[in-house]
Amino acid sequence: MTLRLALASLFARALTVGMTILAIGLSVALFLGVEKVRTGAKASFADTISGTDLIIGARSGSVQLLLYSVFRIGNATNNVTWESYQDIADRPEVDWIVPISLGDSHRQFRVMGTTQAFFDHYKYRQGRALAMSDGVIMDDLFDTVIGADVATTLGYSVDDPIVVAHGLASFTEHKDQPFRVSGILEKTGTPVDRTVIVSMEAIEAIHVDWQSGAQIPGQSTPVDVIRGMELTPKAITAALVGVESPLQTFALQRAINEYPEEPLLAILPGVALQELWGIVGIAETALLAVSAMVVVTALIGMMATIFSSLNERRREMAIFRAMGARPATILGMLVFEAMLMAAFGALLGVALLYAGLFIAQPIVDSAFGLWLPIDAPSLREVYVILGVVAAGAIVSMVPALRAYRLSVADGMMIKS
Amino acid sequence: MKQTLSLIAFVAAIPAFAQETRQLDAHEHGVGMLDIAIEGTTVAMEFHAPGADIVGFEFKAESDADLAALDAAIATLRSPLDLFVVPGAADCTVTEAQAELESDEENEDHGGEHKDDHAEDDHDDHGHEDHAEEAGHTEFHAEYRLTCDNPDALSKITFAYFETFPNAQEVQVQLITSAGARAFEVERDTPILDLER
Repeated sequence: MTLRLALASLFARALTVGMTILAIGLSVALFLGVEKVRTGAKASFADTISGTDLIIGARSGSVQLLLYSVFRIGNATNNVTWESYQDIADRPEVDWIVPISLGDSHRQFRVMGTTQAFFDHYKYRQGRALAMSDGVIMDDLFDTVIGADVATTLGYSVDDPIVVAHGLASFTEHKDQPFRVSGILEKTGTPVDRTVIVSMEAIEAIHVDWQSGAQIPGQSTPVDVIRGMELTPKAITAALVGVESPLQTFALQRAINEYPEEPLLAILPGVALQELWGIVGIAETALLAVSAMVVVTALIGMMATIFSSLNERRREMAIFRAMGARPATILGMLVFEAMLMAAFGALLGVALLYAGLFIAQPIVDSAFGLWLPIDAPSLREVYVILGVVAAGAIVSMVPALRAYRLSVADGMMIKS
Repeated sequence: MKQTLSLIAFVAAIPAFAQETRQLDAHEHGVGMLDIAIEGTTVAMEFHAPGADIVGFEFKAESDADLAALDAAIATLRSPLDLFVVPGAADCTVTEAQAELESDEENEDHGGEHKDDHAEDDHDDHGHEDHAEEAGHTEFHAEYRLTCDNPDALSKITFAYFETFPNAQEVQVQLITSAGARAFEVERDTPILDLER
């Protein structure tokens, strides 16, 4: 009876009720969406590196080292000398070690020098290995392997020649040494997608004719001569390390951090990520608080519409009372209507969220490399819906109590 | 830390070698550090805590009372399962437990890790007291190795440590398991580390 009355009453005012529900729906979608993006970003970040026990670089901060070595965000403060790298690689605790050399670019993409071991040991998304979608891993000095995004953005395919620029966003390009695309990696959803991978020797080869950052005029070493040269790297940017046994990780980390010949830093990727969350956590909380405030605003909007509806429903209420409805019934009916509106709004919000996710998922993935998973509604969404309904009931108490106190006579009188 | 102190002693002693590396670890009173690595049934733990947390002072112990306090603290630190209580179901036994005070005086036993021979050479010839005061800090260092027959039951660690040492305020925990590395902070108010979180 009450349900039928409430529904009929809502239908009778379809337009205002619809707007209220839409406002609540949008606010709930925003609130849940912020949370989705937040957890999606976190998972994306956490999935970028897996299976690496330590990351080694010049001594700076652990977050900074993580950002530049794995996420290609920011730059290294210093390089690590090849001697130190060899020293660490020779330690008995080290199972495998992969050097990384950054600093050159190809168009807007970073060039990373590394060894073949990178393809064996770099793991993402809980231990998944890199796979080639086309071509093979580089085995020639001037071979490159490019990430999926590099290939699609620049339209490269296997065997295409490419030119590697010195420094980031530099005008001078290393035109003398034409590189060749030997393979294209499958999409990983990690920064590897946006990386051009070459061998460590290639990084040295690029810089044969370059001294103190500028090309020596009139000097250009032919490719054949470069091939004959000793191209041992002098420095690396960072290194990924796997240890023999987890029990040795801390000892190795300490040994590297106290390495007397060079100030080095070894970090545990998982711990550094957590530190990063600690930093961005404040912004996340602020974002979540803002979107929660939007939900509150929508609910207050609903309260305002109920208030204004009280005036137009004076007669209706009075008739109910005259027919024997007690004031409590009126109150209950108003609160129930509000709860229905809030529930419809919250459900609409969830629907909007999923619709939005379906549309935005590929766009966000290609634009930001951020994969937003579309999962079935979790307990969290259920709680949010229940919370919104409860909050709707509470805010509607204010106008409902007002209706509760109005007398029958008040509704019966004709106001001019 | 130790090596650093010995390096400082060395650098101060021989100016000709003054370009030698100098570095000191961060040292924060009230904050200890516990590293835990778990592989199979073996659990390796390494614990560092400032002298101030454990015995309440970091000067060189000379009085009998201070020396006794140091000895008592080291003895306490040698029984890890009384300080860091693990669930009984994990069935852990201590297979190895070492504890020591790291200060300038007790450096000899650590020479092995250290590449600079000369840093050690001058070690006994110079007034350590001065340098110890210069550096001003001491640290307790403990290493444990446990065997836990049922490592899956290692769901939490209760830090009775805070009851034993009233000056300690916080322990920063790093945990390495097959699932990766994580960090925790355990504070005096909530002295329980939930490993399954």
